[in-house]
Amino acid sequence: MKQIAFRGVLLLSLSVALVTLGTLLFTVFQDGWGQLDKTLITGVNSSDPHQAGARPAILATIEMGLLLLAFVVPIGVGTAIYLEEYANKERWYNRLLEINIMNLAAVPSIVYGILGLAFLVRGLGLGRVLLAGAMILTLLVLPTVVIASREALRAVPNSIRQGAYALGATRWQVVWRQVLPAALPGIATGSILALSRAIGETAPLIMIGALTYIAFDPTLLGPFTALPVQIYDWISQSDQDYTLRAAGGIIVLLGILLVLNSVAIFVRNRYQKRW
Amino acid sequence: MSQVETMSESPAAPVTIGDVAVQQAPAAEAFDVRGRDVVFDVQDVTVSYDDDPAVSDVSMKIYKNLVTAIIGPSGCGKSTFIRCFNRMNDLIPSARVDGLIDYHGTDLYGSSVDPVEVRMRIGMVFQKPNPFPKSIYDNVAFGPRVLGMKDDLSGRVQRALEQAALWDEVKDRLKRNALSLSGGQQQRLCIARALAVEPEVILMDEPASSLDPIATTRIEDLMHGLKENYTIVIVTHNMQQAARVADMTAFFSVETAADGAARTGILVEYDSTKRIFTQPSDKRTEDYVTGRFG
Amino acid sequence: MRTGFQEELDRVEGLLQEEGALVLRSLRGAVNAVQENDHELSDEVIAFDDEVDRRYVQIEEGIQLLLARQTPVATDLRLVLAMLHINLHLERMADYCVTIAKLTKLAPEVDPNPRLLEGFEEMGSRAEEMIRVALDSFERRDLAGAESLVDLDELIDRANRRVVEQLLALGAEPELREYGLRMVLVSRALERIGDHAVDIGEQTAYLLTAEFREFTDASHPTPREA
Repeated sequence: MKQIAFRGVLLLSLSVALVTLGTLLFTVFQDGWGQLDKTLITGVNSSDPHQAGARPAILATIEMGLLLLAFVVPIGVGTAIYLEEYANKERWYNRLLEINIMNLAAVPSIVYGILGLAFLVRGLGLGRVLLAGAMILTLLVLPTVVIASREALRAVPNSIRQGAYALGATRWQVVWRQVLPAALPGIATGSILALSRAIGETAPLIMIGALTYIAFDPTLLGPFTALPVQIYDWISQSDQDYTLRAAGGIIVLLGILLVLNSVAIFVRNRYQKRW
Repeated sequence: MSQVETMSESPAAPVTIGDVAVQQAPAAEAFDVRGRDVVFDVQDVTVSYDDDPAVSDVSMKIYKNLVTAIIGPSGCGKSTFIRCFNRMNDLIPSARVDGLIDYHGTDLYGSSVDPVEVRMRIGMVFQKPNPFPKSIYDNVAFGPRVLGMKDDLSGRVQRALEQAALWDEVKDRLKRNALSLSGGQQQRLCIARALAVEPEVILMDEPASSLDPIATTRIEDLMHGLKENYTIVIVTHNMQQAARVADMTAFFSVETAADGAARTGILVEYDSTKRIFTQPSDKRTEDYVTGRFG
Repeated sequence: MRTGFQEELDRVEGLLQEEGALVLRSLRGAVNAVQENDHELSDEVIAFDDEVDRRYVQIEEGIQLLLARQTPVATDLRLVLAMLHINLHLERMADYCVTIAKLTKLAPEVDPNPRLLEGFEEMGSRAEEMIRVALDSFERRDLAGAESLVDLDELIDRANRRVVEQLLALGAEPELREYGLRMVLVSRALERIGDHAVDIGEQTAYLLTAEFREFTDASHPTPREA
């Protein structure tokens, strides 16, 4: 009897999640499907909701994504390598570092927004530019990448390291030639998932001044917007037609996320057979 | 008619009966360590983890081109001890090695000694085969590559695989993943990997304990052939294996301190395998090899 | 597989065959010494026994090591045990050759009786043949050859009886009586050498059949069926 009850509870939880998700998706697609036209993707924002396009936002989101990868992978993986392969885990400062990184992963994203505003936009004088946005997002997902990379590095069996050391490899050679290649799938998966999360972030970008009405393509050191911000803007308009347009934007955003996550799953599956 | 020949004292002179001379009998595998080169001279070595001695005050000599086996019950520090020879204990932060290990006149743990160089000359094969998740070729080539031995890499790989008695089985699939080999083959691959850097010594930490009997016999036969060109030190918990393959055998045991708490490994007896298994000097050795301990 | 082990087995077996060859030489020397009453040759035979003893010790050590280090089982075990026993039999044969040589030296000078000398020559030849057959059938793992030793032993026993008859007919003088006594012991020694050859054959049979079996014994004069 308990078995059946337990199974019932599990199914109930599953259906709650599925029903909620299903409803959300259904409403979005119901509203947004009709909005998917060329203008949405190739046009710029306009006062006429039917003509409003999100090209600057899409481009900015993609550019920030690429910059994000370029920043977060070296820094995140490097940190993970230091903590896993080089640091003496007994030492207090390494333990402190480890705890801090764990904590940072749980900090609300708006805090990063405030941080960015204070230090990057004003402090460094960058201004409200795309580069600043990319840097903020980097900081935001950095802890996640570090943690995911550490897991990937830890998953490499220690016997591999021992074997490499025994042949006369230096620590660097062991890491670069054996551990890192073996951990690459896990690191790649973690990075792509971090990227997916960052792409959907709105609050920090608004904090550092992503504008909502941009009619030109973004440049690195110029004013910018991002797809989530654009969507937020359209929804806040009183005109109902803008809301429908926003639904279209949401579908585009979901599309981008779907592609990224599929790549992550593909990479993970392809290399899983190794062990 | 017949010559008078008395039996001479020295064994070299032939003895005749009638007109026929008789050759002297060939000696059994002439075994005498007194004239042999010493590779490692271990003097009062103690290895501790966090100040807890795992193995204490070991003194012995390892001789060139012989197979030396280290036997003993579990917990007597055999693996800890053997890892001193290629400084693998350096990788454990809490480990400390006291005493002297003299390798051809150099203190292995001297301040000017580079562990990488040590491991280049003293290779190791582990208990569980640990091939890299790469191709067979890349596995064997890894050592020479990281050590800068770039010349004739393919030749090196082939020679190493031949010496490990694996070449014929893999020569047509060098690019295949090493993990596709059977357990016994993987272990021979690991041996080939160690041989590729042309070490002087090969350390083996229970190399056959995870293998089936046939694979084990192949590894043992391999050792028999390898000792011509290499010096081999093997840790094994299988006494019969030590009896079969080793020229010299060292028996380690566990010593409990007076308070009953601290246990440390000690060297009880070190002698030719022949003596250890026919006439051991120490009763503890006798009890162990006859299976009457504990 | 287990090349070291096989090499060692072959080495000890080789030593055993060499010991056998030495025993043959020793026997030939002893018989010739009897024929020609050659005391110098007898001394040589006596000295030569050290050579056999040395092989004997080496083989014993080799077998001890094989048992201690290789834990032989099945055929290997039977081979090692067979070699252990054959080694003993060969050594005893060599001791008998020494006995014959010593008796030759002790026997008084007497005019040789040609028929007697023929008898000893026949016994000696038979014994040599038996040793050869025994060693050969062991080497070739030939069961029929080993079993044929029983028939050859019969021949040597008959030759022994003929020699004893002649010795009994020698005469009553003290010298002749002493001579006869010594020569009876020589004859017996030769006959015992033949028995040891049969024993070697039994070891070969044990190796091949794993049965501990005597080919004949006193209570069953006719050969048992296999």
